[in-house]
Amino acid sequence: MASALQFAQVRKTFGTTVALESLVLDLVPGELVSLLGPSGCGKTTALRIAAGFEVPDSGSITLGEQDITNRPAHKRNMGMVFQSYSLFPNLTVAENVAFGLRVRRLAATQRANRVGEMLERVQLSSKADQYPHQLSGGQQQRVALARALAVQPEVLLLDEPLSALDAKVRVALRDEIRRVQTELGTTTLFVTHDQEEALAISDRVGVMSSGRLEQVGTPTEIYRAPANSFVARFVGSMNELPAVRTSAGQVDVGGVVIEVGPSSGGSGGSSGASLRLLIRPEDVSLDVVDAAGTLSGSVVSQVFAGAATLVKVRLDTLDVLVTATVRGNEPRWLTGDRAGVRLDGRQAIQEQVDDDGLTDPEAVLLA
Amino acid sequence: MSRVHKRRHIGSWIVLVLCAVFFAVPIIALARFSFQKVPVVKLGWSTLFDKWTWDGLLTGLRDPKFQPAMWYSVRLVIATVVLSTVILLPTALWVHLRIPKARGAIEMLTLLPYVVPPITLAAGALGAFRDNSPALFRSEYFLVPFYVVMAMPFSFRAIDAGLRAIDLRTLVDASRSLGAGWTTTMFKVLIPNLRVALISSSFLTTTIVLGEFTLAFLVFKPTLPVFLQDFQMHEARGGSALALLLLIASGVLLGLITLLLRKRGGKADSASPIF
Repeated sequence: MASALQFAQVRKTFGTTVALESLVLDLVPGELVSLLGPSGCGKTTALRIAAGFEVPDSGSITLGEQDITNRPAHKRNMGMVFQSYSLFPNLTVAENVAFGLRVRRLAATQRANRVGEMLERVQLSSKADQYPHQLSGGQQQRVALARALAVQPEVLLLDEPLSALDAKVRVALRDEIRRVQTELGTTTLFVTHDQEEALAISDRVGVMSSGRLEQVGTPTEIYRAPANSFVARFVGSMNELPAVRTSAGQVDVGGVVIEVGPSSGGSGGSSGASLRLLIRPEDVSLDVVDAAGTLSGSVVSQVFAGAATLVKVRLDTLDVLVTATVRGNEPRWLTGDRAGVRLDGRQAIQEQVDDDGLTDPEAVLLA
Repeated sequence: MSRVHKRRHIGSWIVLVLCAVFFAVPIIALARFSFQKVPVVKLGWSTLFDKWTWDGLLTGLRDPKFQPAMWYSVRLVIATVVLSTVILLPTALWVHLRIPKARGAIEMLTLLPYVVPPITLAAGALGAFRDNSPALFRSEYFLVPFYVVMAMPFSFRAIDAGLRAIDLRTLVDASRSLGAGWTTTMFKVLIPNLRVALISSSFLTTTIVLGEFTLAFLVFKPTLPVFLQDFQMHEARGGSALALLLLIASGVLLGLITLLLRKRGGKADSASPIF
């Protein structure tokens, strides 16, 4: 299938700072792709280049079949929702939504119909005659979404549109964006630093760091099969444990030998090699202390997280904190309790380290 | 209210009253001189309500040179406001959007007219234009570029404050992403949202132009302040009455700006730290 939007080897610098390094990304028609990364990783620069607000130093941007690298922003037919509230304060809600249609000289009847339809989609028909300052933040962003979609853009660009909203509104609007995007089938590029947001509504997620796209994949791939240690650490949380390889498919963690699955690099590295094992909290469970195949330790804290509780345990032998996920139907653990920590290494990431315990810069992930 | 707070409160009121007296006394004195037909040496408490009259003001308003001078100044005001806006608005926009780091330097540049006294400006203008560009020198709009420069410290700040009060980049980006070119963005998005800033800038420019005497006098232009000075030579009370009228008009203009700003308080284009 032809790409709806394509970044080909796009590079952008600001002075001596490299904001984007050889970005390659294809969006297929109708999909929602998120660019996820910490502040300053280049995700917004990528979005602004797609929108036409920045010109890349090299590389090209293609929209459908057309090279739009040097096409001005107002001729790209893209819709954009911004992080800060961007409604025009001098116009009513309806006039804001109609702005792009008026620029395109759409007939008044068609314009009114389209405005009505878009406001209905974002459930704000009753606010048509109000001014932006009379709306809440969430309502303003919904109007901004309606305004961006009213022009029937080839690509919808979302620049952290939820970051200024409170938690409850953020989740509601996130779901609304996904619903409207799916209904209209608009190809969407969504920039966020919130991994939960990205994983929840995206068809694919691109994780960025220091101007580079580290990995692109479905939310499950990103979470379960991270391409490198940056992605592994950035997406979700990870326990990091020192380990030594004992044989193919087995590692020793604090005197307990555990199995590591072939998908996580069981065949890589030689026996006796020092490793750092990255294990998700949901792959760590608690048992009675001294149970076979467990590392003993003491519970130091518990964080209630709704369906599960995250319990932190300090291991006796390694003096490291490990976070385990305890589901609601399992026994409760209290601070000071003695516990046996069981590690499921089948999905673990293994990172080679040198003798000083530092990550070997030459080492590739064994995963 | 604690005793300390009460003392501070009273102290603030004393300062306020002293300032009000400092400004009001000369104006009241000017008003009495202009509108009371009482010899100056007899102006005191005992004559406070004696012989008030509009005669002086009416003499000034009926002087055949008054209306031409007033309309000339009005034309200068309009031309200066238009030229100021046409030059300063795009400049301020450019600085905010493209070279925000240069804002400090530009702000400093706009303060330069403070450093150059009008008499120096007049000497420069005479030397540079009287012989080299006599047509320009004779033009009735010769003063306009100089007035733009003289009003710049105020007019630029008013526009700059307006631009800082809105999320300029986002509004521009939003407009352009919706398909609007620069002209549409300027007229449909920016100017409506900078309305108060532009009105402030225009009013301030107006008060500068209506009050400027030195330059106009030295380059022989019959503006309202020049007429007032000339008229006052032979009709002191009438001249003072007209000057007071001008002062009140300027005050009303500034009052209008403040009212406008209060009315729009809290909205995007409201704040203007110069007031």
